Amino acid sequence: MSTNLLDDLQKAIVTYAAEDALKLASRTVKEGIDPLEALDAMTLGIRQVGDGFNKGELWLPDLIRASEAFQAALPILMEELARSGKERKSSGVLVIGTVFGDIHNIGKDMVATLLVADGFVVHDLGVNVTAERFIEAVKAHRADLVAMSALLSISAPEQRKVIAALKSTGLRDTVRVMVGGGAITQEFADSIGADGYAATAPLAAALARTLLDNR
Amino acid sequence: MHRKGFVRRFKALEILTEDQIEEIHKATLDVLWETGIRIEHEGALKVLEKNDCRVNYQDNRVYFPPRLVEECLRNCPSQFQLTARDPKDSLWVGDNRTYFGAAPGMTTVDLKTMEPRVPTRKEMYDAVTVLDALETVDYIMQYTPYFGFEGVPSAMAMIETLAAKLRNSTKFTAEGYSNDCEIFTIRMFQAVGADMFLSCLPSPPLTYHRGSIEACLRAVEAGFAIKVGGGGMYGGTAPATIAGATVSNNAELIAPIVLFQLIRPGTRIIVYNFNYPQNMRNGAPAFGAIECSLHTAIFNQIWRRYGLPTWDDSGEFSSSKGIDFQLGYEKSMNTLLPALCGGNGISVHGAIFGELTYHPFQAILDDDIVGMIGRFLQGVEVNTETLATDVIKAVGPIPGHFLNREHTQRWWKSEQFLPKAADRLTYPEWMEKGKKSALDYAEERMQKILETHRVSLPLTPSQEEDIERIIREAREFYTQKGLI
Repeated sequence: MSTNLLDDLQKAIVTYAAEDALKLASRTVKEGIDPLEALDAMTLGIRQVGDGFNKGELWLPDLIRASEAFQAALPILMEELARSGKERKSSGVLVIGTVFGDIHNIGKDMVATLLVADGFVVHDLGVNVTAERFIEAVKAHRADLVAMSALLSISAPEQRKVIAALKSTGLRDTVRVMVGGGAITQEFADSIGADGYAATAPLAAALARTLLDNR
Repeated sequence: MHRKGFVRRFKALEILTEDQIEEIHKATLDVLWETGIRIEHEGALKVLEKNDCRVNYQDNRVYFPPRLVEECLRNCPSQFQLTARDPKDSLWVGDNRTYFGAAPGMTTVDLKTMEPRVPTRKEMYDAVTVLDALETVDYIMQYTPYFGFEGVPSAMAMIETLAAKLRNSTKFTAEGYSNDCEIFTIRMFQAVGADMFLSCLPSPPLTYHRGSIEACLRAVEAGFAIKVGGGGMYGGTAPATIAGATVSNNAELIAPIVLFQLIRPGTRIIVYNFNYPQNMRNGAPAFGAIECSLHTAIFNQIWRRYGLPTWDDSGEFSSSKGIDFQLGYEKSMNTLLPALCGGNGISVHGAIFGELTYHPFQAILDDDIVGMIGRFLQGVEVNTETLATDVIKAVGPIPGHFLNREHTQRWWKSEQFLPKAADRLTYPEWMEKGKKSALDYAEERMQKILETHRVSLPLTPSQEEDIERIIREAREFYTQKGLI
């Protein structure tokens, strides 16, 4: 029974069925299935979609809709996990957002989704995120990694501000920082003291793992 | 005689039926009234509320009543002058006239590696000189040719670029906004006695940020024209369907037009198309896609019915990284089609990949593309003289020919467009002359332009002083803001 339910949950992700994913996640909770198993099923689903995207078989709308199905079902499972007192094993905890002054979210969403697929716990702060909000989130989630996006050359300097804020709050040594987006180059990333830069979403996902492996 | 623009001598290509136009119009009115537009500018919200719009101040949403929309569209002039600092370069916008102009690139491109890099000051000024010299360049867009140059802080990029354009060219130039730079660029235009239009950019879907509205209100209050448009990506920030993307885009364009007409009735408005399919692999705009022209076709048809001049700023870009075959076909198709569809302005010269790279060689090659399209727009003249029955009779069958006829000498140069960079040699000639390509000829033409071309009306010493002073004040302004 539970196996079928978990299969269905995984299927809801790969068929982009957000409502079904939420209903099925609720049922796993009601039926007392371990939330870690339910989360694993969903992660398998998103990984399947992420692999399809990386192979060029699936496209951006597929990736984004799978991510939304995942996000729809996530809160109820995270609540249950908190109640159970269990810990989720993950590749790392990541805080991601598009910096203040910039509302471009597509690239950031791609990176976030591919990182979820790669087993990271991702806290997506959205767009137009101030340095203060990055700092709060790093503290609240005890993040291992901060990922910042900026498409506009006028918003790119905000990434420098976030790194400065991490330093002034004493958090800089606790996290790795990666940056990306249309306005960012390796030179810029180096100049602001980021730990890594990636030019594309798939490279960003790989970079996150490298940065944490090399801690 | 100096030529400005081309007059299209035949009916524009139309791909929608009247009923389809009406359906799109009704759907647009529906979005404006039922969904509304977010405008993050309190002053604007108050003006709109006073004029019968419903306003929700909590989320800055404005709902536009259809009657007000239609009235404000009617109040927009359908034709008007845009004055350049040298009167010979002024434009008369609207009707069946099509202008072509230079399109942006943030940086230049190294033609060997095809990689982008920041241009030097000399490269910026030379690129402007080339644009000034090219006959088919009627105007220069904002962020064009480059967005600043080496040593210029990004806050000063727009201002330093405008200074280069005013110093090395008399052609009509457009402006954008960034970090309040319009405070200074407006003064620069006033100092040299030139008009401009400022771009008003939505942030699709259905949103205007404060900076965009504030900049345009400054320009409107100073009596300048506004070019409204742009930014949607089908399937990303607009519906995936071209009809749906047109509805959301038109709703976005109409909102500030209503505002500007309420604030300053009769404000000169140009609407422009800057919409792309979303590249569903990497999220970027699909530059060079044929759907841009499909969108432009219906955009032109609908806005012609509204009676506003149209600009097309989507055809100029390619997804190619260098000057090659892909660039040639993408640019040619997406420049020709808007011209056939009746666009009043088409930005094309110089741009290479997206908005990111620009090269003067490309501007020279585009001069030929535009020349060919302009020739097509002029159509075919049919009268007794051009029907040439007299000369046909005089020549008769072989061994007669037309090369020795006065009729030929009189007509051939106005009937044939002669490209300046294209290779039209025969094989033997081509081999003898070193197997040169169009790109080689473009390079030669650029060298010749830089050696010989001088701007027709240099800035006067007092205008130069004004420009210098405004640049200094801008530097102080941005230094105080912590942006330099």
